[in-house]
Amino acid sequence: MSWEFLAGQFAAQFGLWWVIWPAILLGIVVGVLPGFSPQNTLIMLLPLTLAVPVEQAFAFMVSLYCANHLSGGIPAILVRIPGSGGAAATTLDGYPMTQKGQAQQALVLSFVASVLGGLITTLATLALLPWLSQLGLYLRSVEMVVVMLFGLTLIAVIAAKDTLKALIAGFFGLLIGVIGTDHIYNAPRATFGFLELYDGVPLVAALIGLFAVSEALVMIEEKLIVSKEGRERARRTQWADTVDGLRISLQKWWHIVWTSFVGLFIGIVPGAGASIAAFVAYQQSRLWSKHPERYGTGVPEGVIAPEAANNGVTSGSLVPMLALGVPGGTTSAVMMIVLQYHGMVMGPRLFQTNPELAYGVFVAMAVAYIFMIFTILPLARYMARIVLIETTYLAPVIILVTIVAAFSERQYLFDMALALVFGVIGYIAHKTSYHVTAMLIGIILGPLFEQYLVRALRISEGNVLVLFSSPLGNALWGLLALSLVLPYLRQWRGRRRPAA
Amino acid sequence: MKPRAPLGADLVIPALALGFASYFFHSIAELPWEAKANGALIGAILVLLIALQLVRMARQLARGEGDLRADSLWRPADVTAKRLGMIAVTAAFIATLPWAGLTLGLFCAMLAALAVMGVRRPAPLLGLPLAVAAAAYLLFIVALQSDFPHGPIEKLLS
Repeated sequence: MSWEFLAGQFAAQFGLWWVIWPAILLGIVVGVLPGFSPQNTLIMLLPLTLAVPVEQAFAFMVSLYCANHLSGGIPAILVRIPGSGGAAATTLDGYPMTQKGQAQQALVLSFVASVLGGLITTLATLALLPWLSQLGLYLRSVEMVVVMLFGLTLIAVIAAKDTLKALIAGFFGLLIGVIGTDHIYNAPRATFGFLELYDGVPLVAALIGLFAVSEALVMIEEKLIVSKEGRERARRTQWADTVDGLRISLQKWWHIVWTSFVGLFIGIVPGAGASIAAFVAYQQSRLWSKHPERYGTGVPEGVIAPEAANNGVTSGSLVPMLALGVPGGTTSAVMMIVLQYHGMVMGPRLFQTNPELAYGVFVAMAVAYIFMIFTILPLARYMARIVLIETTYLAPVIILVTIVAAFSERQYLFDMALALVFGVIGYIAHKTSYHVTAMLIGIILGPLFEQYLVRALRISEGNVLVLFSSPLGNALWGLLALSLVLPYLRQWRGRRRPAA
Repeated sequence: MKPRAPLGADLVIPALALGFASYFFHSIAELPWEAKANGALIGAILVLLIALQLVRMARQLARGEGDLRADSLWRPADVTAKRLGMIAVTAAFIATLPWAGLTLGLFCAMLAALAVMGVRRPAPLLGLPLAVAAAAYLLFIVALQSDFPHGPIEKLLS
């Protein structure tokens, strides 16, 4: 890959601005609304993407996908409702910033971290593509089981106010995630007799119920979602706040860089996805911070880490699809269908037979991120004003509109009712500090965890010790144990220091 | 003096989880091992975690640091009616959707929800439901042509 080739690719992608811009705007709208996933939007737009030339189709799909990852953080910051699972970790510090009247700064931090994170990892992927494509091959079923448990444990540790309660919530979610028929015998399990649950628990209904509905039910306790001081600050939003957000982002450039790489490496693992990446990055950011106790109270690093990571995932998740022909997630699976329709054969030979497309994908991604920052940054000031709407109006709109959105994934009325049930469970969990995020991540990971666990057990003819049979897996077990123990160790040392 | 923790409320999620785990174990009892290995493993860990939580709560009760109140679930009391009203309106909206259709159903539900929340001024009480219902009609029925049940409004406008 020569510099001339790369320059030509960039010029070609900039020339597709008329495709990229509408895709970005659509991706932002889709990302803000819980229930509208990029894969569903791409499926609905299949007639369009199949009809246009493959380069335009791919520029459109990639731009929509990246914009979707970026904008999921907007409702997470403003009203504590993540637009997608990948933005769930952003609520932990983004929403407290909003409550302090720093919504505009939090949005700018999220946008800059997303764009720079996406851009850096995209360029890194371009340079390292031949080597990165091998990484996914080292993680087999055993390692994936540990990776998933690691993800869940990290979330429980993040909710360090009460790790035990968070673990209960996480494993409750994991068990809910197993509802439905099993992969081998198609035998229904814990479906309560509902045919609608044979395919498993719909993730959109769970997301909407646990976050949107439960949050709205809590929200009505106050007139506004911001504190009294925050209210005054939100009323006086100025361009200076956008500049301030930019300043903080640039000060934390190194944080953006390394957390985006966390996202990239996790994104390469098929099935791991943005949710795990965002939480791992958040936890690592807190672990290495000089002030871990401030996390959860509205610190900039707590917004930067998950947003940079979940955008780092975007380029990572396309690596196994292009290099191995294995889609890293649902959205890349839809993209693969479109590419195969156009006669493209994924896999290592793609880089020899069609380098324009293979490398062009990542160039399109980089160009989309450049367009995105100029599109979305000026909007932060106006978006931040949403917090001034009284909860009397906000709560009914959130509950009813998101319940309607629960229908969009599978077109079942049942899913709307299920979202309401999850809303009530989420409300109880919220009021009693049983960490709804851990529950949601458990539900998301449930089916994948089963797939990998059963595969590992079948290989070993039912011997559970197979989970401790791989050196990489054992190293991950060690890291998992360390993540559980380290916060307690820090706490213990902190208690000893003042005494000494 | 430090106020006592309302531990009764803390029991609700473990009770739900334990009930669900029991139902799960019952539903997989007759299945081959591949179909129940995962659920059995996760369920066993969940039961263990709940047992740890119960031990911890028992110790708190014994030390007089908590009691079995559950009132934190419905505190502050003045919004309980609004909260229950919102849930009831949403449930009624879902139940009547097959007959009322999306547009009319959403309009009525928004109107009722705003009334429950204490909105009395006619402009927002009628304007907001109208705007939300119109937006939902344009997005879901006209643009996306999704499979929402069609009611009188959709039939009239089709």
